Amino acid sequence: MRDEETGSWWQQASGQAIFGALKGESLELAPYDELTFGLWKQESPAGQVLAPVSKDEKEYDSKWEAEIQKLPLVLTFPGTALQSRDVVIGLEVAGASRAYPMSAIIAQSPIQDRLGGTPFLLTAGPDGKSVRAFVSRLDGADIELFRKSGGDKWVLMDSASGSEWNFQGCATSGLAQGKCLERLPLLKDFWFDWRNYHPSTTVYRH
Amino acid sequence: MCPVAMIPEIQSANRKSFALALTFALSVCLGLFLFLAPAVIIRPFRFQSARALNFAMSVRQQAPIWSLIFAAVTVILAAFLWRRVSRWKKVLLGAGICLVAVSAVMSRVDYFEWMFHPVPVPGFEAADRSKLDSSEMVMSVRFGSDARAYPIRAMAYHHVVNDVVGGVPVAVTY
Repeated sequence: MRDEETGSWWQQASGQAIFGALKGESLELAPYDELTFGLWKQESPAGQVLAPVSKDEKEYDSKWEAEIQKLPLVLTFPGTALQSRDVVIGLEVAGASRAYPMSAIIAQSPIQDRLGGTPFLLTAGPDGKSVRAFVSRLDGADIELFRKSGGDKWVLMDSASGSEWNFQGCATSGLAQGKCLERLPLLKDFWFDWRNYHPSTTVYRH
Repeated sequence: MCPVAMIPEIQSANRKSFALALTFALSVCLGLFLFLAPAVIIRPFRFQSARALNFAMSVRQQAPIWSLIFAAVTVILAAFLWRRVSRWKKVLLGAGICLVAVSAVMSRVDYFEWMFHPVPVPGFEAADRSKLDSSEMVMSVRFGSDARAYPIRAMAYHHVVNDVVGGVPVAVTY
């Protein structure tokens, strides 16, 4: 990205200026989500959606994901566990980074793991497409969460208090009701890109 | 004048023309380099090492001034050479001028951004008025009570949207 004010070039993946007057500066990462529109709308009924630019609307490609898969590969990391354009969820905690193949998350959600000393939960949402990560620690104690089986509502349950948790990471019933878990930022990315910016990343294996 | 005495003069005139032509060619090449080197290094779908990128950007930073200087030098040299050369060489002179002119123009254009389509002034619609399918992916941010969704299908085309959410300026990029 280039800023109009100084013409400095900013790297998307890191938010760092890599050339120009602001070289070395960093933008603060805003907490963000990558969700299905349906789920976002449920959580933010009063929210605003970027309107299509009418002259460009016909260019928005409904098969963008498939089209991107066809683009030439910029980088490959032969000998690593994944293919360049495998979609991963990348997490970085206290300098430690790990890539979770999207396919593994969908199949095994929720995944309970630990990175840089922090226990966390990586889970797909009720739509089976959106992914969030939460620090699985309640009042200083590590907790374990799992999908509550039965019923058609998407609910997580923790083993310590038996409370029920929603996809926002907040307890909706039980002893912990009203409490919310801390969110961890994550990046949905292609393996080659994540690996490029996180050379020491590990890959999740169950 | 004695014809024999003229020979060294002709030779020196030829040598001067040759030197001028060489300088002309060099000036065209350097002028063109200022545009082509960054363009080739930063071309899409290719990996750029930090060093190569830094080199390309440095060249690009200097290119607006230097491409003009080389264009001017090229034109002046062409003017000197014009009457000394045959017709087909005049075509070469013209081509050289065209090349440095293109380089001078391109050095001032952000052609890297032609493949992206930033939204200058983003428009928004209420969540319940959007025609977006509920299975479409969006990027979303929330500051205070202000929530925004940016459909990824649109972001994959526009790539950058500048917005202010709950008083916080954000650059949304995909």
